[in-house]
Amino acid sequence: MSDPSFGIHGKILEIDLSAGYVRVRPLDPSLTADYLGGRGLATRLFYEAVDPASDPLGAENVVVLAPSPLIGTSAPTAARGHMVFKSPLTGFLGTSNSGGGWAWSFKATGYDALVVKGRASSPVWIDITPEKVDVLPAGRMWGKDIHALTDELTTGFEPAARPRVLGIGPAGENLVRFAAVANDRNRVYGRCGPGAVWGAKNLKAVRAAGRMKTRVHDKERYQSGYEQAMHLIRQAPVTKRLLREMGTAGLVELINVIGMLPGRNFQDCTHRDEDLEAVSGETIAKTILERAAGCYLCPIGCQRHTRVGGKGEQAEAGEGPEYETVVLMGPVCDIYDLEAITRANYRANELGLDTISFGSTVACAMELAERGLIPPAELAGLELRFGRAAVLERLAVETAFRRGAGALLADGSFRLAERYGRPDLSMSVKRLEIPAYDPRASFTQALGYMTSPSGACHLRGGYAVSLAFFGGWKEIPRFSLLQSPIAIRNMQNHGILQDSLGVCRFTGYAFGSEPWSRMLAGATGLDFSVARLEEISNRVAALERLFNLEAGAGKLDDALPPRFAETPIIVAGEERAVSVEIQERMRRDYYEVRGWDAEGRPRPDLLGRLRIAGRRP
Amino acid sequence: MSPRDWKADEDLLRLFQTIGRASLLCDIQDSHSGNMAVKVRNAAGVEEMAITATGSQKGDLDAGQICFLSAGGTDYGYYKASSETDIHQRVLALPGVRASMHAHTKDLTIVTLDDAPKPSPVPDFVPVDPLGRAYLGDHVHVDWFAVPSGSAEMADLIPRRLAGHPATIIQNHGTFARARTLGEAFFLLGVADASGRVVRQAQKLGVDVGALRGRIASDPAAHFPRLPGPYEIEDDGLCDFPEETELLAEFRKAGARIFESRLSPFHTGTMSVRGVRDILYAPKASLPREIGGPLRRLPMASAPSDSAELAVHKAIYAETDFQTVMHVWLPEAEAHSRFRYPGEEGESDKIVPLDAEGGFLYLVIPVLPAEAGEEEIIRNLFDYKIAVVRGGGVWAAGTQSLSEVLHHPSSLREICLYRLGAFERGLDLRKMEPKKAARW
Ligand code: SF4
Repeated sequence: MSDPSFGIHGKILEIDLSAGYVRVRPLDPSLTADYLGGRGLATRLFYEAVDPASDPLGAENVVVLAPSPLIGTSAPTAARGHMVFKSPLTGFLGTSNSGGGWAWSFKATGYDALVVKGRASSPVWIDITPEKVDVLPAGRMWGKDIHALTDELTTGFEPAARPRVLGIGPAGENLVRFAAVANDRNRVYGRCGPGAVWGAKNLKAVRAAGRMKTRVHDKERYQSGYEQAMHLIRQAPVTKRLLREMGTAGLVELINVIGMLPGRNFQDCTHRDEDLEAVSGETIAKTILERAAGCYLCPIGCQRHTRVGGKGEQAEAGEGPEYETVVLMGPVCDIYDLEAITRANYRANELGLDTISFGSTVACAMELAERGLIPPAELAGLELRFGRAAVLERLAVETAFRRGAGALLADGSFRLAERYGRPDLSMSVKRLEIPAYDPRASFTQALGYMTSPSGACHLRGGYAVSLAFFGGWKEIPRFSLLQSPIAIRNMQNHGILQDSLGVCRFTGYAFGSEPWSRMLAGATGLDFSVARLEEISNRVAALERLFNLEAGAGKLDDALPPRFAETPIIVAGEERAVSVEIQERMRRDYYEVRGWDAEGRPRPDLLGRLRIAGRRP
Repeated sequence: MSPRDWKADEDLLRLFQTIGRASLLCDIQDSHSGNMAVKVRNAAGVEEMAITATGSQKGDLDAGQICFLSAGGTDYGYYKASSETDIHQRVLALPGVRASMHAHTKDLTIVTLDDAPKPSPVPDFVPVDPLGRAYLGDHVHVDWFAVPSGSAEMADLIPRRLAGHPATIIQNHGTFARARTLGEAFFLLGVADASGRVVRQAQKLGVDVGALRGRIASDPAAHFPRLPGPYEIEDDGLCDFPEETELLAEFRKAGARIFESRLSPFHTGTMSVRGVRDILYAPKASLPREIGGPLRRLPMASAPSDSAELAVHKAIYAETDFQTVMHVWLPEAEAHSRFRYPGEEGESDKIVPLDAEGGFLYLVIPVLPAEAGEEEIIRNLFDYKIAVVRGGGVWAAGTQSLSEVLHHPSSLREICLYRLGAFERGLDLRKMEPKKAARW
């Protein structure tokens, strides 16, 4: 067993499922210096391996998973993995992140990244240990949900040696375009449909059983960053209290207070207080919460382990709901029934669905149905309208199996709305559904959705709400046209850094780059100054943009659905919309701040400075 | 005695009121001390003098407490006006002078006290800080008077002192300043008191101020290579970005905090928020809530007319992704930049927080040499977000907001005060600092 050299093994594991080979190739040290790990490294390896014109559900698509040099140290939350692929939902860059222990375990097998190419002729799973890598038949696992799959691949091991399983459920197998990949049963790579890519590759699971430790090069330097980070996590109200006590759903009432909580497919942001209270973090804590927990190595602990249905036959336990799930499956569908939301969430976890895209697609279908645009016959007997909590769980199952009305939903809200002649009723950007923060209540958030490389994602696009309400001394104006482009660029860059370090977005509530710089430089012994980290983030952002341009994205894809320009909401007594002119101005300014030209293409001098060689002029 | 309408017009009253309140906020007056005088033109176009009434509370002036005196003679107001009216009247008669102000600048007054038998000559005050050098010169006269309040001797000497200097110090009493506007006079008194505070704190920190003054005198340019430019009196009401209402409020909040927390004397320091092609810039960052200062929208590209401070703001934006920058002249930091650990050689190149909050926010705060260029400042801002330049003020940068960047100098002030307090108590700072700080 080789001894990992201070956070970096120097090895990439590459598996071609079509050709049937497994090979280990060296990791060029300059890639670590220039792209770090996690999202940065995965994006770089993906970019060099994939044809941007490839069919996302074809054998040509490539999946890259990468942990980071920090993973394996004690750095808070540093156990997250990042997956990059071409998204079957958007047709552009698919980029998704998850907590859970798989990334940690994979790194401890001795690799810095996993690249999966090709398509197996029949279902397979991959078993990775420090000693060997096997590609094995998965015929008998096909059709199993994620929990059953995890149980099957982890039984018979001592707890200390228990491997970690990353896999898909029926939704991925059935190529649902927003299918997730999960590890530790309920920790998901949810956005952009990675599960469908795995399903298309006939890849059911990857099991990792690593034991290698990550050594720290300069303990004192590392420790100074670590102590500072831990202190600030224990001090900031969101990380020390809110997330643990109420989970992310603790945001429900707060986001409503700032006028940002969407309802009825984003038709408005108005809710009755008693309705919202029924689905709030406080109510979850008082009624269905069994215990709070955290992802591997997380001192914050926002997970909700819950139970619904009392003690009777209908009782069941699971995880969730999180804030996004509560709002997208709840108020966005005009549903305020916590039990219905929670049960649908359990099904989504088991079957492998992204709850944001699922909830938003249900809401879109409800609006289409209410407007009489979906012929009832096509709904397979389902009475679909806003507020019908009873449909949620059934639709989750039907969507995962592409049957009944779920067959309509399985390709996401954009394709659904387009099919019925009203693509404008899909609340998505680049065909990725918008999360639970209404863009009209913050220009900064609006611009984040518009320019996120993966489509409307609050995590890749910049988690502006964290500044709008909990920013503390970093709190920024929500409606500053001048500040928004730079504020969102900086937030996106910090997100790239966090994803490339394998750490949780929520640490950003407590601290910025400096403690990470010291932990990373201390762990690796390499120069990872804050200036260097900033450069890495800018490099990754430029490369992500290049891929999207090569995959056909253009300026017009960086826009909000018309509803946000045409229908104002009331924020603090004022009508707010994000007019086309405002969008144009912010987009133009954002491009300029990024060093892109008027069409959103990274300028040659920027690419030269960042040492990026694009494939096309 | 000439008949006179005692109502000061609203603008004049507001001017006296706001400066009166601001001078209390920055602690250069007691409830009734000091006085302010300006030249005004009356309705008939004749110049006269407006001065605060004797014994008035400068924080709560009403219209009846502004007295008007014709520049050449006396009238009814003379009997109500400040006991130092004669002094002000003569000061206002100096060429180019339109305002005169006296304040109890306590820090400066304390460092110019002595216990020598009187009468005897008093040494000049020699500033060791950049603001003092820029605006007060290389020395300020300090005079002892047998009757150090409203006396004929004062009325004789002070105007003569002020003919050649913007400010002069009355031993045991305070400072007089003359200027083109009352705002400028208040500015000079704020700078003067801060200059005294630097010396006072340096003395408390065991700095050999005499030796420091000697070193500065032998090569002033090496100690202060980047002095701030002349005080501008125009455009204080100018705002180039009224449509950015939220940002405007942020500027005003941060400016008021800089002033009230004494992070930089009145109308000193600079702060900016970056736009895409331009920056929003406050060239007078220390802004009491009631007193404005220009708020400019300027092109991002550097221009030959840029001040030294503005040039650094622009350089930081050109080289980094920071969104906000602040530069303040924090007396506590300037004094600390001269600190030498007992028994150790040379001025310390870092300020190490002793307090818990400071320690977790910054392991150390770098102190850069006076000659530090933009590149060195930027490099340190990347790693520490804040850097002290010896003789060059405090630079801070933020990734998002003005409030964020304000937090850095504000924390630094506390860090300096804790260190100073511990040192005054005879505690061994080296023992109190985290061991690893020596390596950072
Ligand atoms: S804060 Fe929540 S999501 Fe983040 S690592 Fe911890 S448990 Fe996981």
